[in-house]
Amino acid sequence: MRLAAELAVREINAAGGVRGRPLALVLLDDSASTQRAIQVARQFYDMPDVYAVVGHLTSGTTIAAAPVYNGGATPLLEISPSASSPTATHGAPYTFRVCPTDLLHGARLAAWARRQLAAERAAVLYLNDEYGRGVRQVFTSSFTSLGGRVITDDPYLPDLPSFQPYLERLQRAGGAQVVMVAGTRAGAEAIMPAMRAAGVTAQVMGGDGLTGLEIDGTLISSAYLPDRPGERNAAFVAAYRRAYDSRLPDHRGAGAYDIIHLLARGLDAVGPHRDHLRDWVAGVGTETPAFEGVTGTIAFDENGDVPNKDVVVGVVRGGQLVTATP
Amino acid sequence: MTGLERFNTLRVRIALGGLALVAGMVPIAFIGISALSTIGTTVAAELDQLQRVTAVSNGVTVAVSDEIRAAEQYLSARTPEVQQQFRTAAASVYTFQQALQSLGALTEEERIAVTRLENLQAQAEVWYAYAHALADLGRREDAHAAAITAREPAEQLLASVLSVAEGQSRQAEATTDRLVDAARTRRSVVLLVLATSVVIATLVGVALFRSVDRPVQDLVGAARRFGAGDFRPMTLRGTMPGELRELTDAMDSVGARLRTIIVAVTNESQQMADTASDLSAVSEELAATSGEITTAMVDISNSAEKQVSGLEHSRQRMEHLATLARKNADVTQRVVTLGQQIRRLADDRRREMATAGASIADVRTVVERSARQVEELERLTAAIDDFIDLIKRISSQTNLLALNAAIEAARAGERGLGFAVVAEEVRHLADSSAKAAEEVADTVRTIRHQMSEVAQTMASGRGKVAALGPMAEGVQRALGDIASAVAEVEQTTANVSREARAHLEATDEIGAVLRTVSEAASSHASSAEQVTAAAEEQGASTEEMAAQANALTQAAERLRALVKDLRV
Repeated sequence: MRLAAELAVREINAAGGVRGRPLALVLLDDSASTQRAIQVARQFYDMPDVYAVVGHLTSGTTIAAAPVYNGGATPLLEISPSASSPTATHGAPYTFRVCPTDLLHGARLAAWARRQLAAERAAVLYLNDEYGRGVRQVFTSSFTSLGGRVITDDPYLPDLPSFQPYLERLQRAGGAQVVMVAGTRAGAEAIMPAMRAAGVTAQVMGGDGLTGLEIDGTLISSAYLPDRPGERNAAFVAAYRRAYDSRLPDHRGAGAYDIIHLLARGLDAVGPHRDHLRDWVAGVGTETPAFEGVTGTIAFDENGDVPNKDVVVGVVRGGQLVTATP
Repeated sequence: MTGLERFNTLRVRIALGGLALVAGMVPIAFIGISALSTIGTTVAAELDQLQRVTAVSNGVTVAVSDEIRAAEQYLSARTPEVQQQFRTAAASVYTFQQALQSLGALTEEERIAVTRLENLQAQAEVWYAYAHALADLGRREDAHAAAITAREPAEQLLASVLSVAEGQSRQAEATTDRLVDAARTRRSVVLLVLATSVVIATLVGVALFRSVDRPVQDLVGAARRFGAGDFRPMTLRGTMPGELRELTDAMDSVGARLRTIIVAVTNESQQMADTASDLSAVSEELAATSGEITTAMVDISNSAEKQVSGLEHSRQRMEHLATLARKNADVTQRVVTLGQQIRRLADDRRREMATAGASIADVRTVVERSARQVEELERLTAAIDDFIDLIKRISSQTNLLALNAAIEAARAGERGLGFAVVAEEVRHLADSSAKAAEEVADTVRTIRHQMSEVAQTMASGRGKVAALGPMAEGVQRALGDIASAVAEVEQTTANVSREARAHLEATDEIGAVLRTVSEAASSHASSAEQVTAAAEEQGASTEEMAAQANALTQAAERLRALVKDLRV
């Protein structure tokens, strides 16, 4: 995300900046901690030259920071590239996002499991945070409503000593065809060896939190995949690879890249002013034309969401996430 | 009347006062209402916030307790119901925690505390779930160890929840303090607003009362002065309201007309008194002249009688002369002397009569002038009648105006009470004016009656004076006759005296002449008596005229006394 954002800023400043002034990026690390996110938000809020925040990365930090950005006399625009929790933008007029919600991720994965894999039994392991609980809840209800059964449904945190008891209990209960990991890449990387040890041979799938996982065959839903068709995306991927040692951007980077370009256009249109910039962004897709980015078309609804954006299911092949084919 | 003065009326003054009150009160009322409504809104918002915070805080406390209880219970009694209770309670902890997060009233420290609460909850939930999985697998020892690990975040979670609840209770106290402060501030505002409104109402009331009371008091003072007979022009301070200005103008015009009339009456009564005094003097002169005439006539009458008896004696003597002719010359001489005496007397009387005739002409002039002045006075009293009618009409209009004012004052309610009293005063004044006008009318009627009597007397006096003229001329003519007759007697006597001796035969003729003379003398005597009677009659008329002149003088005095106290 940082790399893609810096790439976008370089591009804009190389083209003359905004209104003849170079765009500057202020970087602060919230360490994905909600407590730290509140403090970071306060720091950004108190900088008068900061007109918008690209972030935060996770749903939990975005939700925790939102009251800071939306309160006070000079509220600050906050656009997250990847906060997918359903309610992350609700009741916060200065909080936006450019990614679909977990509702879409959970629902797409549940449908894939039921329709493409014909799975009837599923086990859910979820990271016990805002994001994990959101994905888990949508997946469980979608899978159940499509006629499947959720056999086990267990929470975890990074300091959990072992997944063994959960998987052993699953096995005793008769096993499952899919294991849904509603968490992060680190969780999946711990779970998959434990599955092998417990003799669980189910298909592993997860939301965009698993992005970066290099274990082949894993199904991962994402709002953006680098192999997404389109000239703009091709140019972005090529530039990213050139700049960063042939690495591929993920959905968070692509979202941040789109947000930077969107903000540059807004600042050019209304000038450096927090409220004017927020109002301009809120009108994208209604008062002004929708923004065509590398992640697709960005048009905000009244919540600051992008309801017309879809989620695709990808599969890890050769260490890279590519669009999965049924 | 200029455009501005048209609006300078009592009605407009009262209306302006009312408007000023309303204009002052409306913003005050608005401020008061807005202060009250602000405090109401503040209280409602604060209480609503407090209620929501309390509900969420209570909810999270209950949910955490339920979760820990169910989690511990599942370790000893593994039933699906208890497991379900654990999961439901855990889920509701997140719901409450999110609700707490979205409350606007939290400080950033409190937000961080709530986030920490979420982390503790997640840890406790995961460790209990892990312990439950171990318990399900029958690994009791491991499950027990995991539960012990779970209890640490669980206890911290409970402590955190309790501290959040305490924080909320402190916040409730702070809210109460804020409300009390706000109420105190608003109360001061409302008190200030009330005090301001009282001051404004008092100022407007006083200004209104002054603007109405002062001109009315001035007018009442001027009216009292009029009532006391001081008709000098009114001097009023400042600008009057329209209604009172009209009243002032009307009273001023009444005063001006009264002043003119009083001056006229004073002058006329003075003139009348002078005339009466002239008349009186002339009457006295006339009376004196009449007395002289009477005396003279009595003399004439006596002389004539003497002449008659002398002539009789002469005739006897002449008859005796016929026989005693010698004595004729002596007798004749005496007759001549007597005739000269008579002619002298007659001449004297004729001169006196000429003087009396001139006096009578003077009297007639004076009487005629008096008659003209009396007629002039009658015309003046007619003017007074017109004027009294005017006063009556004005007082009637004033009465109506006062009634209208009383009605307006009643409409004005309490604020009109003072004006109602004034209106009543004005109405009394109008009544007094009407009464005074009636009294003046009575006086004028009395004067006119007396003047009419004077006029009648003057007319009769003028008739009598007119009759005196021809009478005096008759006397003069008779005296002339006497003189010529005496001259004839003298001539004849002279002839007799000259020719007596020679013409004795003429004695018979002389006797005839003497007879004629005797008849003429008799006729003279009766003429003289007639003149005396006329002179006496004239004396009586003169007395009557003097009496009338006296009455006129008294009437003039009364008139003068009537206007004497009036100041013009």
